[in-house]
Amino acid sequence: MSLLTLSALGAWGMIAGIDLVSVLQVMVARPLVAATVAGVIVGDPTAGVLVGMVLELYALEVLAVGGARYPDFGPAAVAAAVAAEGVPPILIGPAVIVGLFTAYVGDWSILALRRLNTRHVRRLAARLDEGDVHAVTSAQFAGIARDAVRALLLTAFGLGLAYVLRHWTPSAVRVRELLTAVLVGVGLATAAVNGKRLGGGRAGYVWLGIGLLGGIAWLLLR
Amino acid sequence: MAAPSVSAIVRSGLRLLTVQACWNYERMIGIGLAYTSEPMLRSLPGGRTGARYRDAMRRATRYFNAHPYLAGLAAGALARAEHDDVPGEQTDRLRTALLGPLGAIGDRLVWAGTLPAASAVGLALSADAPAGIGAAALLALYNVPHIALRLWGLRAGWRYGTKVGRALGAPFLTTALRLVGPLAAGAIGVALPLVAHRLAGDLDVAGWTATAVAAIVGVIVLRWVAPRLGAVRLGLLAALAVLVGTAW
Repeated sequence: MSLLTLSALGAWGMIAGIDLVSVLQVMVARPLVAATVAGVIVGDPTAGVLVGMVLELYALEVLAVGGARYPDFGPAAVAAAVAAEGVPPILIGPAVIVGLFTAYVGDWSILALRRLNTRHVRRLAARLDEGDVHAVTSAQFAGIARDAVRALLLTAFGLGLAYVLRHWTPSAVRVRELLTAVLVGVGLATAAVNGKRLGGGRAGYVWLGIGLLGGIAWLLLR
Repeated sequence: MAAPSVSAIVRSGLRLLTVQACWNYERMIGIGLAYTSEPMLRSLPGGRTGARYRDAMRRATRYFNAHPYLAGLAAGALARAEHDDVPGEQTDRLRTALLGPLGAIGDRLVWAGTLPAASAVGLALSADAPAGIGAAALLALYNVPHIALRLWGLRAGWRYGTKVGRALGAPFLTTALRLVGPLAAGAIGVALPLVAHRLAGDLDVAGWTATAVAAIVGVIVLRWVAPRLGAVRLGLLAALAVLVGTAW
């Protein structure tokens, strides 16, 4: 992988990471988007889309409500797309593991970021309580800078994991196939459970069921 | 009252995109709200060096939390209250009163409605269309209402001021709140068979069986056995079980 590609991946992972909470929130942090673009960067958009789809199923669980904890799928999806590059679709299971594990680490990194922000705001408390606009601006920009560093480090961690996976794959093809099957299965379960929850109460089953029938019809009629 | 200029409102709108940049446990998005409101407060009597501006900024930085897309409603309403010379205690009460509704409405409308619906459409199209179409659809379907909601919030907040509660009863909001949940559930339902076919379609019978078993066990665990475990941890545990099982 060239230095240019690596830099592009790092930059994209950082953008996807800060999009989650700090800046814009236009959802380039969603795994489907982040992995698709990462796939384009490494020259295998299809692999990016596929691994992004699996991670997107898992991301359907996330409700970024208030101070809730949630995994960071943006940088994770970038790493997973790199791990999936050139891999046949039925063997992307290990790449999904890279994505899930990086997203899980991302959860902790967000907690650490919030603590750092809190410490900074405490230091600025007296100036903020006086209505000092410079203190407000300083806190805002420092928050963005910290999140950018966090996202970059998380992307680097994920890419490191992807590198290890690509150069050290002890498992047999059959095992990787089984991993893909099981991880897709858990992803589908996640989407189904959350689809029902979003529909609300018993109506959730009805709406999910109607959708399922529509999806099956689409599949049969295309 | 010297109303803020159009450029000040535009600047506030852009700053609203970073309202959570300094999310922290003490003031939550209070700093972001102050940063968003600040351009609209510059036109207070006395300007940026005046006592009114400083008092307003002091109040603006206090604890606040809401859905980020609806935070503009609070920013606009609070800035308007400062311009209308509403007493500080009343502005503080307004701020407190907005905490719950703006969080609850935004969470239901966006996180539990628009986002999963857009995600499901993106997934369905990714399964059935050329690479990139699904991701593009997700971004488009999500961001049109997202940006519209932010802009509407800021404008409605400024227009209604202390009577901002009226804006929350807007017919489009109540209709959207009623529809988005079922819409998201239905869209996920449509996406599921298409995604399953795309991702597991090339597996052999044993692979299909493994996918089906994992899906059934996954539903049971996430719905009834350990709903707090979370999908990511369940996925990692399942992968570990496969690796250990096959090694053994």
